[in-house]
Amino acid sequence: MMDNKTLIFSGLAIALVIAAMAPFIASSNPDGLESAFFGIFGAKEIQGSDLNEDAAGSAEEEITAITGNEFSFGSPFPDYSIGGLSRFGEAAAVIIGTLLVLGIALGLSRVIASRQG
Amino acid sequence: MHIPDAFIPLPQAAVYWIIALIFIALSLRWARKELSEEKIPLVAILAAGIFAIQAVNIPIPWGTSGHMMGAALAAIVLGSPFAAVFILTLVLIVQGVLFGDGGLTVMGANIINMGVIGGFVGYYSYRGFYPIFKSPYAPAFIAGWLSLFIVSLACAAEMAVAGTFPLGLGLFSMGLYHAVIGIIEGGITAFAIYLIATARPDIMADSTGVPT
Repeated sequence: MMDNKTLIFSGLAIALVIAAMAPFIASSNPDGLESAFFGIFGAKEIQGSDLNEDAAGSAEEEITAITGNEFSFGSPFPDYSIGGLSRFGEAAAVIIGTLLVLGIALGLSRVIASRQG
Repeated sequence: MHIPDAFIPLPQAAVYWIIALIFIALSLRWARKELSEEKIPLVAILAAGIFAIQAVNIPIPWGTSGHMMGAALAAIVLGSPFAAVFILTLVLIVQGVLFGDGGLTVMGANIINMGVIGGFVGYYSYRGFYPIFKSPYAPAFIAGWLSLFIVSLACAAEMAVAGTFPLGLGLFSMGLYHAVIGIIEGGITAFAIYLIATARPDIMADSTGVPT
């Protein structure tokens, strides 16, 4: 049986390998929700694969007009990219995110556990 | 299936946030009661692993792609749907704030979908199917598939309420894509549980109440 230290380090190793590979192997096709959205707003066929970029742009304007939710927020690494650093930058972004999630989860869990009665 | 800001009107987004906050509070209560020194590393690793695997979009037919959600996995391994709420909330906050993946005003809806609905459907379908198969792998696959599929239908219903997708077409297209993406969810869930059960049979026994 694996001890806790080995478990955490092998788990972390697997997570980091996935994170580093993600930008190189991930598909850039729209995800299920985006694809449904483009299908419903006429930028692609629901069971087709061609996306009309112009129609996709106007679909986004159309949906914003329907909901009136114009909130936008400039995230530091939009779409897992680090300014001008191509796929290696994206790999770095996903690795940073993975380590950050690990750190927050570890820190928060420790704080919560330390407050147990 | 991260909903962007523009997809839901602000008043509805606020309602989803309120519901999400109730479940976040319950997940923190779960954490205070259940998080032992033993489980903390596992929570951290699952959170990190789920974040990483969510960045891997796998192509499916119809010019579409999808990635693992991880709620069923978290709930099964840690033995509570609230574990999924706890972990998915952390993942969604980092994705939304740092990477613009999923909106901020609509983050409550994303937490309800992927954390709450994903976690509860994943956990209870696993528990329900376990006695039939008496092995963790088939129930884990079913739990993964069903959790993603149900979440996609919930998401379509929210879009209908938001006035953005017509209900029928929304349910059809979301259900169609996620029935396929669910195979990825189920497969990785079962495989990850195989790895954990091999490395640490005690963890799985602890969360299912039955040795594997």
